[in-house]
Amino acid sequence: MKKKRYLSFSESINEAQIQAMRLDKNVFIFGLGVEKTGHVFKTTTGIKKKFSSKRIFESPNSEMALTLFAAGAANKGLRPILIHHRVDFMAYTFDQLVNWISLWSFKSAGMSSMPLVIRAIIGKGWGQGPQHAKTLHSMFSYLPGLITVMPSSPSEAKGLLLSSIMSNDPVIFLEYRELYNTREHVPEKPYFIKLDEVRHRLKGNDITIVAMGPSVLKSIKAQNICGNKIKFDLFDLRSISKFNLNKIYDSLKKTKRLICVEDGWKEGSISSEIISKVAEEGIKLKKPPVKITWPSSHVPMSYNLEKDFYFDENEIVKSAEKMLNKKV
Amino acid sequence: MKVYQKNLYKNLLYIRKVQEEIIKRYHPADKMKCPMHFCIGQEIGPSAIEPFLKSYDTILSHHRSHGYFLANKGSLKEMISEFYGKSSGTNGGLAGSQELSCTKTNFYSGTILSGAFAMATGDAFSKIYKKTNNFTVTVIGDGGMEEGICAETLNIAVLYNLPILFICENNGYSTHTGLKQRAEYKKVSKRIKGYNLESHIFNSNDPEKLYFLLKKLTAKIRITKKPIFLEIMTYRFNGHVGPEGDDHYNYRSKKEINLWKRKDPIVNYRNKLLKKFKNKFINFENKTISKLNKEIDDAFKFAERSKFPNEYKKFNYQNTYSKIVKTFFKNDIDFENEQDSHKPMPY
Repeated sequence: MKKKRYLSFSESINEAQIQAMRLDKNVFIFGLGVEKTGHVFKTTTGIKKKFSSKRIFESPNSEMALTLFAAGAANKGLRPILIHHRVDFMAYTFDQLVNWISLWSFKSAGMSSMPLVIRAIIGKGWGQGPQHAKTLHSMFSYLPGLITVMPSSPSEAKGLLLSSIMSNDPVIFLEYRELYNTREHVPEKPYFIKLDEVRHRLKGNDITIVAMGPSVLKSIKAQNICGNKIKFDLFDLRSISKFNLNKIYDSLKKTKRLICVEDGWKEGSISSEIISKVAEEGIKLKKPPVKITWPSSHVPMSYNLEKDFYFDENEIVKSAEKMLNKKV
Repeated sequence: MKVYQKNLYKNLLYIRKVQEEIIKRYHPADKMKCPMHFCIGQEIGPSAIEPFLKSYDTILSHHRSHGYFLANKGSLKEMISEFYGKSSGTNGGLAGSQELSCTKTNFYSGTILSGAFAMATGDAFSKIYKKTNNFTVTVIGDGGMEEGICAETLNIAVLYNLPILFICENNGYSTHTGLKQRAEYKKVSKRIKGYNLESHIFNSNDPEKLYFLLKKLTAKIRITKKPIFLEIMTYRFNGHVGPEGDDHYNYRSKKEINLWKRKDPIVNYRNKLLKKFKNKFINFENKTISKLNKEIDDAFKFAERSKFPNEYKKFNYQNTYSKIVKTFFKNDIDFENEQDSHKPMPY
């Protein structure tokens, strides 16, 4: 058997970008610091050497104009990748996303498109504090016309980024910093993942878990703790736009129990949307659904407070135990 | 009469007549149910740029866009249909006057002030990236120039050497608030000097002068591939929005209005041409007017005849991928099985 190739999340993103740039000469990367020092958590390492400075270049700190720079280029058939080192900087760009990018296809009655990707990093952890650690994903998902993608692991990141770059819709690609050093088998050839296809990650009959981004990893760890005593039917949403939850409905008809795990605030969250959709679908649950999220508060810096702010796999295990009335 | 003079006068008349006809038909028919920003008094910019635009050049305009749409050879029929909310409109009836756009003629506009201005950077970049000889025109008002994104945009255009003609039509008002209440400067171009950007002020309502200036500037941009900023001092005769005037709100003085009306670019240019060419001009004018009247009337008839759209939801997303995906779509590795035994490990 051929030896399996392991890549980190950063290396997967790097490889996806290089392959996309080879496949399509219209793909280019820009943003502040994209080819400097840290190379955006090593995700752009070596790209300038492989391509020219025409394909990857530095920019000023002008998030608003850069976002519409991407839009203008995409409208003319290029496939830009704009990178923000923290998603918090995207707060600058709400007019550009809300009034221009998200409605561009709509207002042209489908005649114009915006095939752009905005990569943004969620700082979460290690004292990043209120302006460097939050996640705005559910705010993006509220807007029609945008696709927001939240990869959960290296192999997912590679396929989803390739698909995002090749998508003719604008994509916001959110990367949690905590995932960059995770490793996984990642196939070498470029491959494609449908952006609106939920992934059935673990099979089980006890509780349906819906997760996205790094909470998928935490759910897998929770399953490892539970062993054979509790079996999760785990779904990775992949994209939090244009929901197609049929697989999840089928699972719930079987388990009749639902836990939503989400790295983000509780109110107005994607988990809230999932639970509301399940209710609208008329699926009867045996126990009230549970949301495992961040508290409804800005993120504290102090290590002492921060470690309590974020949930971990043990919290998922505890919720599962409570829901099933048993100990693992 | 020279060809350029005929063309210039025709453009001015065309834009004004279209505005006047829409205003006339707006009420009481109420068939055009959307906010509209007319450009009567401000026809000089679009009329003078029209001869210098090639196909694949782009215009990204502010909300007072009808003149530039027509200057960019947009279809009048489709424009009027758009205002009627018909599916034969430029935007299939989904955008109206405020966001009038036309993908096939590379014309785009929007009403949240300065986005189109900033999009010009990416548009012009695509022209350099694809090594074409085209350039991008973007038009903004003195109000739009107050948004922070414009500062970013000008810097990026200079930094990356982008072939953009920035036109700022300074009509002195943001809705009903005069420039005096919004800034210490009277001319926008005064405050953009620090960007190392070539800038010009045009402070005359003489269409021929603007024509020759634009001839020079557009030729220069095509050769140097560098941005230029041009401020045109102008005045809007109609109200800010809609067919009804708004001067009864007394936000601008009668003296000021009359001063600008005496400088009406069309009336003055007409007098100049009439004096010089006499009967030859009268003949040309009569022919032009009857041709334009027919064209405008046909456009309204076309809009009346067209059907209303019955779909809108599907346009939110393209739901498609680049054709290149086909080349690696088949590389569909056995994803599920590969993954099962290799759960990601935490760091």
